[in-house]
Amino acid sequence: MQSVRTAPHDLAAADPVARQTRAWSERRTRTALGAASVVAMLLAWWAASATHMVRPDLLPSPADVGKAAVEVITEGYRGTTLLQNIAATLGRLLAGFGVATLLGVPLGLWMGSNRALHAAIDWIVQFMRPLPPLSYMILLILWLGTGDLSKSTLLFLTAFPIIVAASAAGVRGVKLQRIQVARALGAGRGAVFRHVVLPSAAPMIMTGLQIALAAAFSTVVSAELLAATDGLGWMVISASTFLRNDIIILCIIILGLLGVGLASGLRAIDRRVIHWRGRE
Amino acid sequence: MLLTRRTTLAGLGAGLALAGRARAAAPSAVNIGFFTETKPTMLAKGEGWFESGVGGKLSWTEMGSGADINTAITSGSCDIGLSTGSAATAAGIAQQLPFKLIGMVDNIGPAEEMTVRTAANIKTAADFKGKKVATPFGSTSHFRLLGFLKTNGLTQRDVTVLDMKAAAIVAAWSRGEIDAAYVWAPAKSKILADGGTPFPTYEALDKAGYVIADLIIVRDAFAQQYPDAVTGFLKAYGKALGMYRAESDKTADIVAKQAGVSPAVALADMKEYDFVPLAEQVTPAWLGGTATDPGKFARVLKGTADFLVEQRSIKTAPALETFQKAIDTSFLAKAIA
Amino acid sequence: MSRSIPAWAITLASIAVVLCAWVGVTEGGLVRDLFLPSPADLWSGFLELIDEGYKGRPLLVHVGDSLFRVGAGFVTGVAAGTLLGLAMGYLPKLDALAAPFVEFLRPLPQLAYLILLIIWLGIGETSKITMLFLAALPVAAVAARDGVRNVPAERLRVAQTLGASSWQVFRHVIIPSALPEILVGARLAAGIVYGTLIAAEIIAGSSGIGWMILDAGRFLRSDYVFVGIIMLGLAGIAIDRALLLIEKRAVHWAGR
Repeated sequence: MQSVRTAPHDLAAADPVARQTRAWSERRTRTALGAASVVAMLLAWWAASATHMVRPDLLPSPADVGKAAVEVITEGYRGTTLLQNIAATLGRLLAGFGVATLLGVPLGLWMGSNRALHAAIDWIVQFMRPLPPLSYMILLILWLGTGDLSKSTLLFLTAFPIIVAASAAGVRGVKLQRIQVARALGAGRGAVFRHVVLPSAAPMIMTGLQIALAAAFSTVVSAELLAATDGLGWMVISASTFLRNDIIILCIIILGLLGVGLASGLRAIDRRVIHWRGRE
Repeated sequence: MLLTRRTTLAGLGAGLALAGRARAAAPSAVNIGFFTETKPTMLAKGEGWFESGVGGKLSWTEMGSGADINTAITSGSCDIGLSTGSAATAAGIAQQLPFKLIGMVDNIGPAEEMTVRTAANIKTAADFKGKKVATPFGSTSHFRLLGFLKTNGLTQRDVTVLDMKAAAIVAAWSRGEIDAAYVWAPAKSKILADGGTPFPTYEALDKAGYVIADLIIVRDAFAQQYPDAVTGFLKAYGKALGMYRAESDKTADIVAKQAGVSPAVALADMKEYDFVPLAEQVTPAWLGGTATDPGKFARVLKGTADFLVEQRSIKTAPALETFQKAIDTSFLAKAIA
Repeated sequence: MSRSIPAWAITLASIAVVLCAWVGVTEGGLVRDLFLPSPADLWSGFLELIDEGYKGRPLLVHVGDSLFRVGAGFVTGVAAGTLLGLAMGYLPKLDALAAPFVEFLRPLPQLAYLILLIIWLGIGETSKITMLFLAALPVAAVAARDGVRNVPAERLRVAQTLGASSWQVFRHVIIPSALPEILVGARLAAGIVYGTLIAAEIIAGSSGIGWMILDAGRFLRSDYVFVGIIMLGLAGIAIDRALLLIEKRAVHWAGR
């Protein structure tokens, strides 16, 4: 692994082939260590419940959670299937986040390039950002009903200000000289936007999208807290009502894995699309 | 037949007339807000009687509290609220929310009660000073608890009242972190079994006017559009009550399955409720009212609303007439006919 | 043309337009006070809260309790997270071992494990602050780790050529270089802790602005709900700006 401690001494890293091989073996060591760490945690969990060091009503054993998983997959949970719940939550998340991206990026780009618009709207964006989503959930349900709309809107409102702010900041961070150089070379406004502003702003926009997705994801359970009939959030809250700790832990694991998966996916898109990151 | 303009118009007209009649008869999809509980409501739900009574497809949304039902009805996403608490209903009427009270599921009586931790040594009301009492805020239990404090001269500075859902109460109870809880089944029986002692309050509170009940409310627009469906819904509940009276064990079996508890627990829970028969509900002893006698429940709701205003839970409470007008016993009358 | 009108004037005008629309829609009776209280309703609700408090406690107590929880969760979470992140950035093997847990915890909705916190830690301040701590820790850790990783290599080379020990390198090169990112991470963590406040105050609710909003919302006391939301929003902006100021000062001082 490229360690901060050892990096300066590593002259061998100058050779690209050697660097590739080292990078590959580093990644494998990293994955191996990570896997070992998770396995160690699972073993410790199993040991704690097997030796009754922790009371079973406080912490179900891995086997209990496994049984709960089988139960939920084969019989479903209170009339819903696991797949149905995962799909419902993901659907609401992607709807809210998707619309936030579709509306937020253009608005942010526009705000970043138009001082008047920025002055007119930024105060709203800045006020929305710190608001805890749960605080206005009851209002959303009152206005939009108990269906998917209010839930997706909550997720939209969580992601939207972050995306707008990031896009606006991305545009404003574009180095002025670049625009001037492009103009001097004869590029029109549209071309300047497409080939200078957008690529310069893209890394910040992508970062904003990743933060917004994380924020929206951590809100999915809040969105399904009041009057939901399906979804992973509904499932974990319902299990909490019946003190089914095994199902709660199962849902936590699924939620965690989904969150990690979505974040990694977005990171991969970032790496692919924004291949010029770090070389601005 | 030639599709002339006249025949098309005639066909359209007939179709609309038919559709109009069909609309008044049976709705396409009805949203019911409900609670998973050990009551004959689950019998009617499980056996499909509500569905056939309404004559349309039912969409069941489980609610967390009566307040949730109020919100859902106001936003138009709930048509009938089943077993909603009287505290929330009183608040809703005071706030002129668009619903009518059309029936009772039960008069709660001893089914919701105070349980104290045996180790906390609470024998009289004064012993509650300095103690922690938990209850789900906004519920009928919360209403009773506040009534208990008031009638015994205790304030919320003397007694720490904690807002907790039933599951959290059970969890915290086993850690010994709360001294008492005002709650209902199944949490009530769980904490009783876990080092708890009953502390009876309901009789005194009922006498003092803190009557609580679980009610059936219906969204105004829905009731106007589909009055027969509403009557059918009530009839189905009446049928369930009848079966409970005749075959309580069989009822308990079906209810137990719906609620996920054992039949013995279901039966024990149900015995604590006062299930008022439909024929009695329609009299001034409960929901009914005449020109001279507003009826018991209009007064109960008015008193509840006034108390909620005192607690600042709602801003204002209207006059007794408003509560009378919010009760519509016509559907009950048709259901028992 | 927009260059002649200063930005602050446009902002003020925009606020004025929104206020007028709000007054018009509510006083004009287009919307019920339940759905959207008028500014007058909000003001009287606010005065009522100051006068009588909420459910037996003065408003200041609710604000104080919430700030205390946010502060405690933030300080403990950022401190622990930053230390962890510094270690993860400096020791790649530790990074590999800890990363799965940090990455798993980061997006996890806090409401999912609320009942578990009650079961394990009870209903006092401990469980509430723990929830906020767990919300802040991963963000601070990742930011600190990235800050360490992004230290320019030449600086390290220079320091080592000058004969500095590992500890001296860490203290005088790595930490100052990583400081800006650590502070950005702290600001992000503050936002997340803030956003988690209401969920934390669900635990045995009896005080706090977050709980007040939820409780008032039950019986649709929209005026209290809005007052609470506005208070939260303004306080959130204030906290964010304060941290931004600290960040700018520290970056400037760090000699970037």
